[in-house]
Amino acid sequence: MDIARLKSSFAKVAMHGDEVPLHFYSDLFLKHPETRDMFPVSMQAQRAHLVAALVSIVSSVDDLDGLTAFARDLGRDHRKFGTLAEHYVAVGDSLLATFAYFCGEAWDAALEADWKAAYELTASIMVAAAREDEKHQPAYWTGTVVGRERKAFDVAVLTVQPEPRLDYLPGQSVAIESPARPRLWRYYSMANAPRTDGSVEFHIRLIDGGAVSMALTSHAAGGTDLRIGPPVGSLRLDPASGREILMVAWSTGLAPLKAMIEQLAGFPRPPAVHLFFGARAADGLYDLPGLEKFAAGHRWLTVIPVVSGERSADRTRTLTDSVMRSGTWSTHDAYIAGPTEMVQDASARLAAAGMPAAQIHVEDFGWSEQ
Amino acid sequence: MTSHAWYDEQHRLTPDELQTASFPLTRWPRHGYEEEPVRAFLAQVQAELVRLINERASLWQEVQRLRRRILGTTNGNDDVLFGKDDAHIHAVRILSSAQRTADRYVADAQAYSGRLTEEARTRRDEIMGQAQQHADMLLDEARTRARAAAVAAMDKEGLPPQTDQERRAVHAELAYLRTFSEVYRQHLKIYTEDVLRTIEDWESKERAAARDIPVPRDVPVSGQNPPGIR
Repeated sequence: MDIARLKSSFAKVAMHGDEVPLHFYSDLFLKHPETRDMFPVSMQAQRAHLVAALVSIVSSVDDLDGLTAFARDLGRDHRKFGTLAEHYVAVGDSLLATFAYFCGEAWDAALEADWKAAYELTASIMVAAAREDEKHQPAYWTGTVVGRERKAFDVAVLTVQPEPRLDYLPGQSVAIESPARPRLWRYYSMANAPRTDGSVEFHIRLIDGGAVSMALTSHAAGGTDLRIGPPVGSLRLDPASGREILMVAWSTGLAPLKAMIEQLAGFPRPPAVHLFFGARAADGLYDLPGLEKFAAGHRWLTVIPVVSGERSADRTRTLTDSVMRSGTWSTHDAYIAGPTEMVQDASARLAAAGMPAAQIHVEDFGWSEQ
Repeated sequence: MTSHAWYDEQHRLTPDELQTASFPLTRWPRHGYEEEPVRAFLAQVQAELVRLINERASLWQEVQRLRRRILGTTNGNDDVLFGKDDAHIHAVRILSSAQRTADRYVADAQAYSGRLTEEARTRRDEIMGQAQQHADMLLDEARTRARAAAVAAMDKEGLPPQTDQERRAVHAELAYLRTFSEVYRQHLKIYTEDVLRTIEDWESKERAAARDIPVPRDVPVSGQNPPGIR
């Protein structure tokens, strides 16, 4: 396999931008119309995902370990979409047709053979990982909504009963699909430690114009069946560290940290925990009464609410300012969850203040607060 | 080469004529065909071939022209297409442009829904702000009155009420203040209830609207998305 040629031909194809995934999906849907139903109406985000995945695969095609790790995750992740082995053949055909189209005269038998080999390698890792995963867990869980409580103007807490039982570590998250918005999956963190009855809470923040969050906060009445993907995410407690804990949450970033606090409550001697909980306005601190009540019964937990005010241009900065002012944290374990700029700002400032990178654990919720 | 028909339409060479062509034989000692008729026939064959080649070239140009008209000439990739499965590429383009239209509709719907939520948020903040202002105003006024009452009471301190008339005046003052606070409490209660009713009214309208209007089935949001090809 001529890897240099593979990469340079991909770079040339990629120059055509959005035309490339657009052509690929049109080719796929024409040749295999039944696959269209596996995707959402708007394909804009989907095309970006495809390009991102292709870039990852092509850039690691000469690093087998990296490629294997990526393709395994991708293969497992595709189970919940109902992806079958024959779909990989169809996708491969359309992918090659797309590359051939954009390569033009540069496309020849040797290049085609290299692309085919690279695709078949990736697809075989994905299929094998999916098959292996089948032995351990279902492709998705059915989560029946058993409770919905509006905690603030734009935050609702959903209680869901997954079937079969969903096993996870506090701090992890799952992709959720609402029947009101088919084929649109969004990640949410479990907000409680595993319970004996198996029920799970999710904190849903209404994002302006957000279809899934709107469906979950407004329309998901009791009895609605959601689809839930397998638990993912690397945010989890390091119970062996013995260090005290600093937690920083903005808005619904609280969810995974609350699950971890509940987990700590089950420890014989929980370490001291300082939780900084920030929001724009007082009503954004949607779970504060519950947290304070919990802290009153668990003396190792200290809750520090922080409100930025609506006017502030750099809202989340108020929260990190307050964290940095309140103590020296370099000997703590830090767990940070919330919007991208807050997570980045907080981890950068803690690192600058001497906290080793291995002690900083983050969950980026992807939205922006600005 | 020109594509003009220089030949005579009446004298087209047919495969049949080639099959049945015959030439007079030359006289002894050389046995063969008369040269002239053979040359004339070859000239006719040559003319027919030239005509066919020209015709083919002009038809090819016509095919190219029509193809360009169908596929559009704006895209520089056209030369890549020729000789490939053009009908399929054409279909891919039609589907791609339909997908783009769908994406735009969804994006518009998303933007619209975003604007509605944002407006609702702003109006809620306005109403809350107004209620807060109103409450502050009531409190200020009540405080001012209370202070005035206290000052008035202090003024009278050195001179305890002696006459029935003065005692009655103090009682009247107390009664007035009680009534006053009662009235203001009532005002505040009515106002707050009114604001709450407005909010509830909105919420039920929002719910009804969400039930009645078929919302677009998909809108991408900021939020974490699953990676991958699917």
